[in-house]
Amino acid sequence: MQTVTPIGDAKDRSGLAGPVNFRALKKRAGRSQRWFTPYSFVLPIVLFTLLFLAYPVIYSVALSFRDATIDTFVGGDMPFNGLANYQQSLSNPSFWRALLNTVLFTFFSILFQFTIGFLLALFFQNEFPLKNALIALLLVPWLAPILTAANTFKGLFNEIGPFNQIGHLFGLPNLPWLADPRLAFIAIIIANIWIGFPFNFILLYAGMRAVPLEIYEAAKLDGAAYWKQVSHITIPMLKPVTVSVLMLGTIYTVKVFDLVWIMTGGGPANSTHLLSTYAYQTGFSVFNFGQAAAIATVMVLLIVLLNLLQLALQRK
Amino acid sequence: MTPRELFGVHFSIWPHEFVFQNWSNALQRLAPHALTSFVVSLATSALTLLVTAPAAYSVIWLKPRGRKVLQSFMLTSQMLPAIVFVIPLFVVFSRANLVNTLPGLILADMTLTVPFALVMLCAYVQEFPYELVEAALVEGASQWRAFRSVVIPVMISGLVTIAIFSFLMPWGDLIFSLSLITDSSLQPLILELYKAVGQYGVDWSFLLPGSVLTAIPAVVVVLYASRFIISGFTRGALR
Repeated sequence: MQTVTPIGDAKDRSGLAGPVNFRALKKRAGRSQRWFTPYSFVLPIVLFTLLFLAYPVIYSVALSFRDATIDTFVGGDMPFNGLANYQQSLSNPSFWRALLNTVLFTFFSILFQFTIGFLLALFFQNEFPLKNALIALLLVPWLAPILTAANTFKGLFNEIGPFNQIGHLFGLPNLPWLADPRLAFIAIIIANIWIGFPFNFILLYAGMRAVPLEIYEAAKLDGAAYWKQVSHITIPMLKPVTVSVLMLGTIYTVKVFDLVWIMTGGGPANSTHLLSTYAYQTGFSVFNFGQAAAIATVMVLLIVLLNLLQLALQRK
Repeated sequence: MTPRELFGVHFSIWPHEFVFQNWSNALQRLAPHALTSFVVSLATSALTLLVTAPAAYSVIWLKPRGRKVLQSFMLTSQMLPAIVFVIPLFVVFSRANLVNTLPGLILADMTLTVPFALVMLCAYVQEFPYELVEAALVEGASQWRAFRSVVIPVMISGLVTIAIFSFLMPWGDLIFSLSLITDSSLQPLILELYKAVGQYGVDWSFLLPGSVLTAIPAVVVVLYASRFIISGFTRGALR
């Protein structure tokens, strides 16, 4: 990175060709740099942040300590009710189910997304025709709206849909994919793996490209086999990238809402709720904003915890 | 392919009947909503750049006080689930008469794009050769003038990448439009498709072509700018 010259400071200009009038330079540059200039650049974002990011988060936490249902909301007073929202949420088995689902959903999504992404990235280190076109194609599931994937998978998992029909050709019984709690949960994980693996692939692919080729060449000279090279060079060299990918992937997966809301709506019988869909249902179907805010606050704490974990891991 | 063929008794991997009627029906029904989505996404993208580009430049090179607080707050907001924002925004917007308005939806969508754009742009701006600005300052330009005529032209490829992402995020958004828009004439594309399910059972001959049509902007972007996006995104995410 270039060294930074403080603005309006002409001291380091000695390298300039020709005679330079430093005092005039300083004066002219100084005129354009007032103390408030840096702040005028950030003023819009500071206003936006205070009004639409910081205030809502604080409001959400405040709401979690209030009795905010549709009645009190329309009435306008929304009285303070202490920890009642938390007590009610935490004593509801649906909450614990949603929490467990969030953990399982995240774990299995990341496990498969990362594995598929890693193997593909490894494969794409080879040169072959149409390689760049294929990489571009892999971006589509990740950039397209979640709804496209969600509805497509909803069609694929339909009772008489293609997945069951193909299974039928192999003599498998018809599976009630989205009507059975356990199968529906597997179905949303499969759909989420499909959406998320390109993100893992792209970052790992770029990370692998950054490993200097000389190291591999040296290993080849020593007669190291391909998988030896992968386990002794690629994987250790990729460690920082891996930590980033896993952490970002985890945080993005904990946030997943659209996919589950569209595919199952948390059903059948509230069995596939994640914390996000459970909070949304509590807020916008049951209209208990206070309790929804309490669940949202639990999610925030969870994400803060994950961040602290990442910091601890990176410091190692 | 007709629904009868897709979910019929005699399944075929490759369709025998091609029915283009489905596509033209879907297109016709979705066109007005696509226009709404386009307006919302374009406005969100433009406003996001307007707010974040000068800020990212200032944070990295002009170093205002409190920049670390701003940066880490943005990094954290990017990680927060939308539910944290959607509940308070709904309550506050209801009182401010911003529910069921496009400006309300645009502001809500910006809670997704602004933190993302600032974090990514800071990574880009870091690689900006600041000597260029110094040269402009020596010529007597103000910082704002230098920003307009030196920084923006040099940074254009990064700005375009961020603009594309800031367009695609509101385009694909469900949670904000679902919560803040109930007026069917204001429904964005995604919401129209979401609501199509369940009203009269699932109409696959509308839903599937419609869902594929919503992916068009993403496909267009991939065709024109995939290389841009890969290098830009990896740079921002792995920093």
